[in-house]
Amino acid sequence: MKNITYIVLGLVAVLLVTTRTAFVVDQAEQAIIVQLGEPVGDVITAPGLHWRLPFIQNVRRFDKRLLDWDGDVSQIPTLGREFIIVDTTARWRITDPLQFLRSVRDEAGARTRLDDVLDSAARDVVSGTELEEIVRSADWQVDVSRLSVEDAAALEEADLQRPKKGRGQLEKDILATAVQQMPNIGIEIVDVRIKRINYIESVRGQVESRMISERQSIAARFRSEGEGRSQEILGNMEKELRRISSEAERRAQEIIGAADAQATKIFGEAYGRDPAFYAFSKTLESYSTLGENTTLMIDAKSDFFKYLESTSGR
Amino acid sequence: MSDARDLIDQILKRRPRGPRTITPGRNEGPTFEPKTFFGVLAALLVVWAAWTSVYTVQPEERAVIKRLGRVTGIADPGLHFKLPFGIDTAQFVATERVLKQEFGFRTASSETPRSQFAGGYPDESLMLTGDLNIIQVEWVVQYQISDAVQFLYGMREPTKTLRDLSESVMRRVVGNRIGSDVLTVGRIEIANTARDEIQEAMARYDNGIRVIAVQLQDVVPPPRVQPAFNEVNEARQELERMVNDATRQANEAIPRADGTAKRTISEAEGYATERVNRARGEAARFSAVLTEYRTVPEVTRARLYLEALTNVLPKIGSVVVVQDGQLSPLPLLNLRDAQRLPQKAPEKTPVKP
Repeated sequence: MKNITYIVLGLVAVLLVTTRTAFVVDQAEQAIIVQLGEPVGDVITAPGLHWRLPFIQNVRRFDKRLLDWDGDVSQIPTLGREFIIVDTTARWRITDPLQFLRSVRDEAGARTRLDDVLDSAARDVVSGTELEEIVRSADWQVDVSRLSVEDAAALEEADLQRPKKGRGQLEKDILATAVQQMPNIGIEIVDVRIKRINYIESVRGQVESRMISERQSIAARFRSEGEGRSQEILGNMEKELRRISSEAERRAQEIIGAADAQATKIFGEAYGRDPAFYAFSKTLESYSTLGENTTLMIDAKSDFFKYLESTSGR
Repeated sequence: MSDARDLIDQILKRRPRGPRTITPGRNEGPTFEPKTFFGVLAALLVVWAAWTSVYTVQPEERAVIKRLGRVTGIADPGLHFKLPFGIDTAQFVATERVLKQEFGFRTASSETPRSQFAGGYPDESLMLTGDLNIIQVEWVVQYQISDAVQFLYGMREPTKTLRDLSESVMRRVVGNRIGSDVLTVGRIEIANTARDEIQEAMARYDNGIRVIAVQLQDVVPPPRVQPAFNEVNEARQELERMVNDATRQANEAIPRADGTAKRTISEAEGYATERVNRARGEAARFSAVLTEYRTVPEVTRARLYLEALTNVLPKIGSVVVVQDGQLSPLPLLNLRDAQRLPQKAPEKTPVKP
């Protein structure tokens, strides 16, 4: 019994000692052994079980993985004096834990430096660039044929040009500026991206109003085009109607004229054989127009009365 | 040695032992047997060991096994054993599921499929187009964890990085296009380009995420501007309607006019035929009469004259015969007048100077 107790006590002691000398470095970590405030030895990057001296040596751990940095949303004026909200993110890594430990001690310190450097780098680059350059990329290309007519009309000359740098290059510029300005604290900034760009609240209203009036003028143009084209169609219709009816008239008159001419010719040929007889018989026919309303004054010597008084006729 | 034992006594909270006596049985109440204690302890240890040495990996998962902090392998679905007491640890990663991240909106789990307007998360959804207009975009990124170890140990926050990069890429792609292109025909291209670029970034960071697809949901102008966009559509339709109305009117009127024209011409032709035929008829009749006349001209002449007058005179209202040398004419058809106008005076005679 005594032996069991001592065995157990021995195990406990071993355990206590082990916790003071053995330490586990996780897959995600890299570690430095610090002795009395000063680092000793190389950086331990291999995960697993490692050893240290108890009490006088401690372990400082640092993340080995790629880390995130998210900037504050800041208002920055562009070169063209347009105030925009820019939200940047970056990826960074602790590459030299020794240097890291010496200069900033821990991540909080690193983040402070990153905030300063990256925010100012972003501000520098953005304020020296036009908004179009920030929004568009280097391969900006307007395919006018894909746009509707009214949208193509809304474009300006400047819109069709490629930006000098474009978004991608600007992000690289921010990275380069930041890397240059970042003191050596044992980290590597891997990349910087612009996560969000927007107009500030007060400008947003103006831009929306501009969009509204743009659309309204397009709508008005449609309506007036509709008016114009329908008037044109109706005008052409009128013209065509006039042409049809006047040509028909003309044709009809020609036909009638030809008929009249032919009739006249027929009459002429017939009556021309004996104009005197024609005059005689026609005049006789015309006497039938004398009707009730007529008062006829006739000479007693006329042929009609020839035999009234004698059979031999005067 | 006894100090040590006293210390241990204190630690173990046993009552201090007096002279060593064997105390079998229960005469002194509950006794503390080291054997029992350690037996219980050992039993607990065994249970704990059993508990921490078995693990199950679900079908949609894999388990990353670490021994003292170092990754030693990946476990497939099923029941597995590992070293107990936390010497080996298992981290479960859902590698077989297709995961998604939503931007500009969130799916309420069981109710409506998704928000109706892109108004839920304006910070995520508002962005600028290449022509510097504002637009709202909702989209979904579907991804899978393709490398469990890298997912856990490549980046500290792979999912957050996916979100950040998705927003950055989407804004770059949308910002490289004209607003109306984004709203209409560019959607598929935008989704494909975004997927490729986000995937490229994930590969560069080596964070074990594989992007499967990017799907655009609502892509609309900001709410305040939307009525104006609708107005454009309405105006375009109105244009079509006006043009169609005018065309229809023209298409009705012109054939009608053609018909009228044809009728006018036909009527003229009808008149022409009639006139010519009548002329021919009259001419023929005249010619016939003329031929007969030529044979006996005087007789024919007298006959025609008398026939005509016979027909004409009865119809005439009043006939006045004038004789040479007379100042007033003699009314020939006085009686007829009297017959015709009984109410008038019988001796009424028209006097003509």
